[in-house]
Amino acid sequence: MRAADLTPVARDAMKRPAGGKLVLASFLVAFVMQSLPWQDGMLLARPDFVLLVLLFWVINEPRMIGLGLAFTLGLLVDVNDSMLLGQHALAYVVAAFFAQSLRVRILSFALPEQALHILGLAVLASLVTLLLNLLLGQDFPGWAILASPLLTALAWFPLAWLIYHPRLRDARRLGAS
Amino acid sequence: MIGDPPPFFNRGPSPLARLTFFALAAIAVMIADHRFRALDAVRLTLSVIVHPLQQVATMPGAVIQRVGDFFSSQEGLLKENRELKAQLLANSSSAQQAKLLATEQAYLLSMAEARKRFDDTGVMAEVLYAGRNPFSRKLVIDKGLTQGVKSGQPVVDSVGVVGQVTNVAPFTSEVTLLTEKDQSVPVMLVRNGLRAIAVGSGKDGTIDVPFMPVSADIQAGDLFVSSGIDGTYPPGLVVAQVTAVDKNAGFVFAKITAKPAAGVDNHRFVMVLTAPPREAAARPEARGDERRAAKERPGQKVKR
Repeated sequence: MRAADLTPVARDAMKRPAGGKLVLASFLVAFVMQSLPWQDGMLLARPDFVLLVLLFWVINEPRMIGLGLAFTLGLLVDVNDSMLLGQHALAYVVAAFFAQSLRVRILSFALPEQALHILGLAVLASLVTLLLNLLLGQDFPGWAILASPLLTALAWFPLAWLIYHPRLRDARRLGAS
Repeated sequence: MIGDPPPFFNRGPSPLARLTFFALAAIAVMIADHRFRALDAVRLTLSVIVHPLQQVATMPGAVIQRVGDFFSSQEGLLKENRELKAQLLANSSSAQQAKLLATEQAYLLSMAEARKRFDDTGVMAEVLYAGRNPFSRKLVIDKGLTQGVKSGQPVVDSVGVVGQVTNVAPFTSEVTLLTEKDQSVPVMLVRNGLRAIAVGSGKDGTIDVPFMPVSADIQAGDLFVSSGIDGTYPPGLVVAQVTAVDKNAGFVFAKITAKPAAGVDNHRFVMVLTAPPREAAARPEARGDERRAAKERPGQKVKR
């Protein structure tokens, strides 16, 4: 039995809140990675870095990050990728809503199961944008688009590792002193 | 009331209410952008925020390109130089002819009091990257509002039409390629002056020429140039070359496929034609309206 099974809620309460700087920096990095010169198939398979970081903070810092920010980020992504304004806003708001309602459940799992949940949310988000574009008369862009949510879910591991571990270390140091 | 929580427990509207609010807001934004293009100012503002991040993201590629340019071998440069000189020589004779024709035309036009065919002022721009929208074909170039680029201006390369500026930010702008789905250019067949409309197919970089009757005189290899009747594209720019003509008597229209003349997907520099568009000729129905108006007021003399 893991510690997580015993204290799913208490563990959350013991965590120190992430600093605003860390949150801001993570979003900036996600935006830059999203804006790298992706082309053709790579572009279709590009993991949605902004969505990933957004879901991470919605799950880990629900008091700071909510649907309002999801909406704003979606608009920025639409401008950044020169798409119809509002489609990513809708996708991110929907994904963030489900992340909010599932967050206690997601946090009670270990990383692989968490990544599975992220996969579901990422599929949902890309379905929203895909369906919207098909509705607007665009052609189906290609099957490589299926790889995008998968890669987004895989990127959950490095992200969680990067953000969790230093913070856990700090928390432990604080507890010891 | 006992049921009401004290105000410090109040966490605002319920999550579902928030979802509904923001989802509706997103849909409203989409409608405003798609149907009315009412949010260009919002897009412009947000693009200013995003611009520095985009620059950071394109930096590695730009640095690699610079370094590559710096170390490009002398042999390669010499070869390119030789090729360019040969090209220059080949072009100079036609340029001289063009000069002669231009003087002739200027003389003829001065007699007929017509306008110049088109003003060929333009802005040279470097292609920054292909647009990151997987559903459409766009380029982002490094000239924007501050350099006088405006939405709607045609973009050409050394061979022909590349596309049209569809969105401008202060320092960059977005070019929708000819091959983008439903992107259309009024064209004219060079060989016989047949007018048509070239429409991007959105698939594998081809262009369709729809609604041409089966009897139309079009052959594979024919060249389409812009006809200029829309007032957006100046007349005479090379647009596309016909690759296949499928005349099936079972259909009303021939299926004509063409490929863009310009290297739509592979170039580093393009030219934005910034000259103000020629006014399109008045629509016949508008003239009809005038005539009707004149008829309705027989007492008044219409001043011309």
